[in-house]
Amino acid sequence: MNTSWFLSLYIPVITCVFIAAITLYMYRILRGPTIPDMVLGIDCMSYDLAVFIALVSLYYDTSFLIIGSLMISLWAFMFDVYISKYYLKKELGD
Amino acid sequence: MIRMLGEIIQQIVFGIGVCLVTIGAVFDLLAALGLVRFPCFYVRMHAATIGVIGGAVVPLIGVSLISLVSDQLGPYRFMFAGISFFTALLIMITAPVGTHILANAAHKLDLSPKEPIIVDKMGEDKR
Repeated sequence: MNTSWFLSLYIPVITCVFIAAITLYMYRILRGPTIPDMVLGIDCMSYDLAVFIALVSLYYDTSFLIIGSLMISLWAFMFDVYISKYYLKKELGD
Repeated sequence: MIRMLGEIIQQIVFGIGVCLVTIGAVFDLLAALGLVRFPCFYVRMHAATIGVIGGAVVPLIGVSLISLVSDQLGPYRFMFAGISFFTALLIMITAPVGTHILANAAHKLDLSPKEPIIVDKMGEDKR
């Protein structure tokens, strides 16, 4: 089943919604009053970016861009763990 | 006959995938609005959960279903579907762990103010 004609109309609309969401997350990242707010915003934005990369690779009919989606989701988890371990280590004192 | 049934099943799978991606986009926009509008960090975590599970896991499963029936991707479309589904599963496992560990660090060190608060059992235990 060739779905290229539908996807070429559908994916630009959906990516506009995702870009609007990423802009709102960017507001929280730049204006966040404390550090955990910024980390939460970067976390949400990274997972959004994974979906965005998947949609872009579906739009351009290529299968190799999807690997970046896997990497960026792992990176977001690592970022959370590193930030919280850094703060907890400061609290424990050793 | 069999060929026609296959076409119908492919169109149903494609429709389910498109519905999942649309639902994910709507959830994502609502979560972004919540992350901007909610008052403090511990309330914003609820919106972040909506944005991760509803806005990233559901559309990735939808992309996986769409790519499974799209013939124009060539023989690598099974790789596409597999990596997309695996990414969805990985996000569903790792995102709650990250949010919980971040909330634990923020609560233990008072990194962010807990202003609209009713009860704080964890703080009572610490004292």
